[in-house]
Amino acid sequence: MRRGVNRTAYEESWGWSHAWESCVLKQLFSSLRGTASESGSPRGGKMNVGTAHSEVNPNTRVMNSRGIWLSYVLAIGLLHVVLLSIPFVSVPVVWTLTNLIHNMGMYIFLHTVKGTPFETPDQGKARLLTHWEQMDYGVQFTASRKFLTITPIVLYFLTSFYTKYDQLHFILNTVSLMSVLIPKLPQLHGVRIFGINKY
Amino acid sequence: MRPGPGGCCCRRPALPNGCVANGELRNGYVRSSPAVAAASAAASSQIHHVTQNGGLYKRPFNEAFEETPMLVAVLTYVGYGVLTLFGYLRDFLRHWRIEKCHHATEREEQKDFVSLYQDFENFYTRNLYMRIRDNWNRPICSVPGAKVDIMERHSHDYNWSFKYTGNIIKDVINMGSYNYLGFAKNTGTCKEAAARVLEEYGAGVCSSRQEIGNLDKHEELEKLVARFLGVEAAMAYGMGFATNSMNIPAIVGKGCLILSDELNHASLVLGARLSGATIRIFKHNNMQSLEKLLKDAIVYGQPRTRRPWKKILILVEGIYSMEGSIVRLPEVIALKKKYKSYLYLDEAHSIGALGPTGRGVVEYFGLNPEDVDVMMGTFTKSFGAAGGYIGGRKELIDYLRTHSHSAVYATSLSPPVVEQIITSMKCVMGEDGTNLGKECVQQLAENTRYFRRRLKEMGFIIYGNEDSPVVPLMLYMPAKIGAFGREMLKRNIGVVVVGFPATPIIESRARFCLSAAHTKEILDTALKEINEVGDLLQLKYSRHRLVPLLDRPFDETTYEETED
Repeated sequence: MRRGVNRTAYEESWGWSHAWESCVLKQLFSSLRGTASESGSPRGGKMNVGTAHSEVNPNTRVMNSRGIWLSYVLAIGLLHVVLLSIPFVSVPVVWTLTNLIHNMGMYIFLHTVKGTPFETPDQGKARLLTHWEQMDYGVQFTASRKFLTITPIVLYFLTSFYTKYDQLHFILNTVSLMSVLIPKLPQLHGVRIFGINKY
Repeated sequence: MRPGPGGCCCRRPALPNGCVANGELRNGYVRSSPAVAAASAAASSQIHHVTQNGGLYKRPFNEAFEETPMLVAVLTYVGYGVLTLFGYLRDFLRHWRIEKCHHATEREEQKDFVSLYQDFENFYTRNLYMRIRDNWNRPICSVPGAKVDIMERHSHDYNWSFKYTGNIIKDVINMGSYNYLGFAKNTGTCKEAAARVLEEYGAGVCSSRQEIGNLDKHEELEKLVARFLGVEAAMAYGMGFATNSMNIPAIVGKGCLILSDELNHASLVLGARLSGATIRIFKHNNMQSLEKLLKDAIVYGQPRTRRPWKKILILVEGIYSMEGSIVRLPEVIALKKKYKSYLYLDEAHSIGALGPTGRGVVEYFGLNPEDVDVMMGTFTKSFGAAGGYIGGRKELIDYLRTHSHSAVYATSLSPPVVEQIITSMKCVMGEDGTNLGKECVQQLAENTRYFRRRLKEMGFIIYGNEDSPVVPLMLYMPAKIGAFGREMLKRNIGVVVVGFPATPIIESRARFCLSAAHTKEILDTALKEINEVGDLLQLKYSRHRLVPLLDRPFDETTYEETED
C-alpha cells in the first residue's frame, strides 16, 4: 500500500485513477444494478453460533439490501428540506450546507467509524476496517460502491448550479467533495495517512 | 397460484415442456422473464395440480418468500437509523457520566492501556438488544408442551437487571418449542419407560462409546434408528451439534470440496470449517447456483493445481428453521447423481415432522433413502430427547465408529434419554400397538396447513414451504420485534422473535413452531390473538390477498386461489 506523497507513486496513482474513472463511467450504465452476491468474493465457511445464516459479517451486505439506496436519497432530501425551512438562510447557502453536512456525515460513518457494532465470528478481522472497506468484503467497483461514489458527485453538481458558481461556495464544496471521494479510491483501501485513525 | 410479474417472488419449478425433454433442471423465477411467464402462465395453470419437473416432484412444491414492500424497507432503515443515533447519544451521556453506566468498563487506572472491552462491538447489544431483552431467555417452570408456565419478571432499570415478582404466568400457549410431535410431556408411556430405565441403569454413562460406555441400550437404539430411516446402519451421539461438527471432519478433509447452502446451521458450518476442506456456498435452495458450482468444480478442479477434487460433499438441511423452507431434495439428488458427488442431509427439523409416517424429508418426496449418502438428524426436536444420529451404509458407520471424535472422545447418550428415544420412535412407527404415532404425524400436518393458510388469509407475510411446521411471520421493523413479543405474552402466548444480526437487516421475524400437541382450539385462540396484535401493530403487509376457503375438508390436494 502506498503511503505519503512519493513523486513517482503520485503520478502513478493519478494514471491509475484516470483508468479507474473511465472504467466507472463505462460500467456505470451497463451494470449499475448488478447484485453483489455475484461478485465472487471468497467466503470461506466460518463458525457462526447464534445466527441463521452463514454470513460472517452482515455489515458487508447492508448497503445491498432492498430499499437502502432509496432510503439514503430520501434522507438527503429530508436534510435539504429541513435546512430550507430555516428562516433567513438563502438558497445557495442551504445547498452548500446540505452538501457539507452530507459529506461530513458520509465521511464519519463510512470512512471514520471502524469495526462492526456487533460481534462477528471471525475474531475481529474487520475491527480496523472502516465501513467502506468492509463493504462486499473489500471487492471494488460493486454496485453499492458505485452508487455511493456517484451520489456526492451529483449533489456537488446540483450545489454548484444552485450557488451560481460563486467562488467561496465553490472552494468549500470542492474541498468537501474531495474529502469524501479520495477515501473511496481503491488505492486507498486500508491506507491510514500519517497514522490517523489507525487503531 | 397465478404469479404476477411484479410483486411475489414465488420460486416454484414451473417448467415449459421443452426443458423436460432435455432433462435440464430449472427452477423458474417467474418475475425475471415476462415472456416466459406469459407463455407458461397458460401452461402452468394446467400443470399446476399435477407432477412438475418431468416427474421429479410427485407433489407440488409451494414455497414463497414474498418480497419486502418498499415502504416497509424504508421505514425499517429509518427505525435502525433513529436507534443508532440515540445509541450514540446514550453512549456519549454514559461516557461523560451524565447517565448511569451499567455495562462493564475498565478501572480508572487501566484507562490508558489497550482496551479490554471492545466498546464498539457491544454497541448493538447495549443500545438495541438490551431494550427488548425481556423477550428472550424467559425462565419457564413447567414442562414445555403445548402450554407452559412462565415465571413473571420485571425490570426497574430498563432490562439491565430483572427481578421475579413471584407470580407465575400459567398456561401460556407455547409456540416456541420444537415440539413437533408432542413428545415433550411428563406423563405417558415414554416417561414411565424412561423412569424404569433410570432406576435400572442410572443417570449417566461416564464414559465414551469406545471405552466402557457402549450399553446394550445404545445398540438397540441404533438398530431401531436404522430401521426407522430405512438405511443399513446408524450411530447415535450425545449432542446434535457435536454430531455435525465432529463427523464432517471425519468424512472430508483437505483436498475435498464442500458445497454448503447459504443458510446452513452453525454446526454444519463449524464442521465444514474444522475439516479443512474448501467450502463454497450456493444460494439458498437454488439449484442453478448449485449446478454452476458443481460444474465449475468438476471442470476446473482444485484452485492452483487443477487436480480433481478428492470428494465433493453437498451439505443441505431438510427444513431450514429460520426460513421455514424445505430443501429441493429431488433436484439435489438428481444433481448429485449427475455430477457424482456425495450428499449430507441434516434432518434436524424434518425428521418426524415431514412425510406420511414421519420418516422425514426423504419420505416426504417419495425418494429412496439409499440415495442420500449421509443422513443426519437429531432427537431433540421430534422425539423429545437429546442427541443426534448419523445413518448410512454399514461401511460408513463402521468407519465413523472409529474415526469420529464424537464417538471416540465424547460421552455416550444417557440411558433414560435413550429409552425416551426408543419409546417415542416406536410410537411414531406404530410398533407400540397404538395409533398414537400416526395420529400425531397427521395432526401436525393438519395443524401446519391450517395455521399457515389462516395466517396468509389474514394478510401476514409468511415465509417458507406450505408443509413446513416452522412458520416465520415477518415483522421487519426493529420496534415491532419487541412489541410483538410483549403483546403476545400479555395475551398468554409465548413466541420466539428474531432480529438483526441473526437475520438480514430488514427481515426480522417471529417464528412459530407448530406441534401435534396443539389442538385446533389452541390454534384458534392463538390465531385470534395474532390477528389482534397484527391489527394493533399493522403487521399485515402482504399484497396477495387469499380468498378464504369455506368449509373445505383437510386433504392433500386442496389449493387456494390468489387474488392479486
